[in-house]
Amino acid sequence: MKHKKTHDILLAAPGYLIYTVFMIIPLGLCLFYSFTNWDGISKNYKMIGFKNFVRLFQDASFYNALKVTLIITVITVLIYNVLGVFLAVVLNRKNRACAFAKSAIFVPTVLSSVVVAFIWSYIMQKDGGIINTILGVFGIPPVDFYDTPMHTIAMISVIISWNGLGLFMVIYVATLNTIPQELMEAAEVDGANGVQRFFRITLPLMMPGITINSVLSMAGGLKQYDHVKVITGGGPGGATQTITLLSVEKAFGYNRRGYSSAIILVLFIMIVIVSVIQISITKKREVEY
Amino acid sequence: MSTLVKKRLTGKKIGRGTRNLLTVLFAVIYLIPLYVAVVNSFKTYWEVIKSPLALPSSPTLENFTEAFHASNILSLYGTSILITFTSVALLVLISSTAAYIIIRRKNRFCKFLYGYALIGIMVPPVVTLVPSIKTLSMLGLMYTPWGLLMFYGGAYFSTTIFLYTGFINSIPVTLDESAYIDGAGTIRIFFRIIFPLLKPCTATAVILMGMWIWNDFLNPMYILGSTAGKTITTGIYNSIGAYTSKWNLVFANVILASVPIVALYLCMQKQFMTGLTAGAVKG
Repeated sequence: MKHKKTHDILLAAPGYLIYTVFMIIPLGLCLFYSFTNWDGISKNYKMIGFKNFVRLFQDASFYNALKVTLIITVITVLIYNVLGVFLAVVLNRKNRACAFAKSAIFVPTVLSSVVVAFIWSYIMQKDGGIINTILGVFGIPPVDFYDTPMHTIAMISVIISWNGLGLFMVIYVATLNTIPQELMEAAEVDGANGVQRFFRITLPLMMPGITINSVLSMAGGLKQYDHVKVITGGGPGGATQTITLLSVEKAFGYNRRGYSSAIILVLFIMIVIVSVIQISITKKREVEY
Repeated sequence: MSTLVKKRLTGKKIGRGTRNLLTVLFAVIYLIPLYVAVVNSFKTYWEVIKSPLALPSSPTLENFTEAFHASNILSLYGTSILITFTSVALLVLISSTAAYIIIRRKNRFCKFLYGYALIGIMVPPVVTLVPSIKTLSMLGLMYTPWGLLMFYGGAYFSTTIFLYTGFINSIPVTLDESAYIDGAGTIRIFFRIIFPLLKPCTATAVILMGMWIWNDFLNPMYILGSTAGKTITTGIYNSIGAYTSKWNLVFANVILASVPIVALYLCMQKQFMTGLTAGAVKG
């Protein structure tokens, strides 16, 4: 077949133009700014080499943000994937109770993170919050979810998971449905019990879904902004700031765009490294059938 | 039937009954936060404080009328619908066409273009936000809906291209060839024959992008600023920030912001669930 070049260009060029101007160039600029002391306003700025990065690795608030971000990532990745697989396996039956549960768990997924964060900040209040009201019925003294930054972060991680679990569950259900039924039946005939079937057949064959979900959940956790911004605003005194929150604050609150670019670049490199490692690990475990 | 078999059968039945009960119970507990938001939006301030878990004793719509006017909900909706709709349409159009060309033309340049398009898949939008403010202002697009539209076009191009290339690969080239013999040009072949076949993939792209863009918070906050209108998320964030402890009003805002999207989900549950995965998981 011979194709008219003009047609090919007309079809492919608009996308690549937008992508280059609004993605690749800003990405390059982020790299560039991270080596400058640009403040976001003035025309003059200097190349300062690796100074931003040196300062970054001496900055206590960066280490704290890193810690907060990693805690959120670990908790949410665990909940999304362990509970996600569990719910997918348990709810993958054709009856009304399971259909209802799947729809219910998916509802929070369509809600905006801001809305979810407001609802939960009421629920976890120390005085008059729902959790403490319910605990009070059983005579349990009220819990202060804000007493230490780490408690707050752990609670926020649970809230994020409540918000997003439905998506991960649905992807796991879809992966589960790609497993041929005959395999299960064959294993059952061979005398494998439920636990054996789960670990020997279901889990290995769910690897493609686990690859997608672990990368999605990991990247989601590392760039967390919304829930923390609404619930604590990063406070008290920056103790619950994530890397994204810190970077945005430096860029717009303190007009230190160069420094902020360096912070966000480190985050980006982290995401790339983690995703590459993860994909290579889980891809190796994907089995052919 | 022997008693042993009978025992096993009834045993299984009871097991199934309790399992279903536990399933429903779990789902109900999962939805308690939404129940809390709904019931308290119909109460007065004092009733929320006194009995936060009870149903409203005399339901009032006052919170809603106040929130409706104070937050200017309709204009927030207008902005959100406009931005989500145009961004998703733009993404579907530019990435399905580009994906088609780079998959069908087997040459080195297209291979390069494929790799180039995937660079962005690991870049979270927040990485490009700060420098985008520079590029957008240079183009005169800062603080306009157009700027946000272009930002999303760049930010999610990689993801949608990734979805489409995988799907187009599974469509036989013979379809293109027969249309070509009938004298159709590439543009016609794509829009008449290929694009309709991409429906499951387009559904995935529309739902995924639609949810991300509709619920986005950080990017519209800085790119639209305070002049170019507010989306539902940024608008609600601002108006709720103004009365942090008047929970009855907070919840009325929360409900007004969420009812349409939840209603859309409940009406199109099947499309949401299957659409999200049809183009993403091989089946």
